[in-house]
Amino acid sequence: MSMRSIVYCTALILVLGSNASAQWARTPDNTLPRTPDGKPNLAAKTPQARDGKPDLSGVWQSDINPTALPPGVQTVESITGFGAPRYFVDVTADFKPNEVPFQPAAGAQFAQRMQNQGKDDPAAHCQPTGVPAITNLPIPFKIVQTPGVVIVLYEDSSVFRQIFLDARKPVEDAQPRWMGYSTGKWEGDTLVVDSVGFTEKSWLDRLGHTHSNAMHVTERFRRRDLGHLEIEVTIEDPKTYTRPIKYTQKATLLPEEDLLEYFCTENEKDIEHYR
Amino acid sequence: MRVRSSILLFSFCLVLAVMPALAHHAFSAEYDAEKPVKLTGAVTKVEWENPHAWFYIDVKDSAGKVENWGFEMGSPNLLTRAGWGRNTLKVGEVVSVEASRAKSGANIANAKVVTLVSTGQKLFTGSSQGQATR
Repeated sequence: MSMRSIVYCTALILVLGSNASAQWARTPDNTLPRTPDGKPNLAAKTPQARDGKPDLSGVWQSDINPTALPPGVQTVESITGFGAPRYFVDVTADFKPNEVPFQPAAGAQFAQRMQNQGKDDPAAHCQPTGVPAITNLPIPFKIVQTPGVVIVLYEDSSVFRQIFLDARKPVEDAQPRWMGYSTGKWEGDTLVVDSVGFTEKSWLDRLGHTHSNAMHVTERFRRRDLGHLEIEVTIEDPKTYTRPIKYTQKATLLPEEDLLEYFCTENEKDIEHYR
Repeated sequence: MRVRSSILLFSFCLVLAVMPALAHHAFSAEYDAEKPVKLTGAVTKVEWENPHAWFYIDVKDSAGKVENWGFEMGSPNLLTRAGWGRNTLKVGEVVSVEASRAKSGANIANAKVVTLVSTGQKLFTGSSQGQATR
């Protein structure tokens, strides 16, 4: 291993996309198209599933965006010249300042969370990160696609999500959940996923944007080519926002990579030191 | 909107409001970037477990009194993908650590750079990309 001076937090994020070598012995995937130098060709065409649909399966990680953090928000990474996934930090990052369409109570609750500097973040107390925020984390997730159900395994908190493609209806008066209840259908090359039934406990981002249990999330998954996934997200929650919140999260394939387990309660030592 | 203005004002005051590499919690919930520490000592324990890897060193002050300090790193998953293993840092090894101390005043800190005193090697890398040299 080369030992070079580095600010570790930034380095760790940067290496995730390209130099991942996990706990398993690395298993070459002979089905991957390669460039002449032998590397996986991430620009190769989108793989097809047996049913002819685009195959979203693979291990993915959302892209960091070093130059596009929301105004006024500094992170360790932004100070050192690196970035984080933009919408992981702030789902309203594309709105102009003063134009985030808060309902008044939601704006006040958000301001309170900001003042508390992340101490109330459910993740900081080993609660899960919910949909849609969990996809924006700089932590891998694995999509397993079948004709009837798409399963997403998130390394963060080792949680799963099921997106049913069998035309079922959402459960009436469902028990609110962190992942919600997801149904999907194909529109051309795009998997359109509708999710409802969310607990109000989850945060939309690290800054602490709120939502109600009436939130409706639409995610449009499109695998542009072998190595690139785009997820166009629309958050509709009139109790919290007077207009929909929209953003597009991009993710990159981690070829020949697999998930590790992650249980936050394994050795949690931080909570008692929050100030 | 007035609400947003006050939020922005907050934001500008919130240096280090988030630290995404620490997926478990925001940096500012626990640590103070204005409290840098640089300490040297022998490693007494390594905890290679989620949500954060920790290591501990015995630090001797000028009067000879020994205090044990704990240092938080990223998650073992992140470190693993950066080329680290659970045995990269060994008990007994003397290291020098640059870190940000906890707001609570406890003898714990968030490690930024770890240097092996025997060789001068700086740890926390594994990639030839994106060096933020200090």
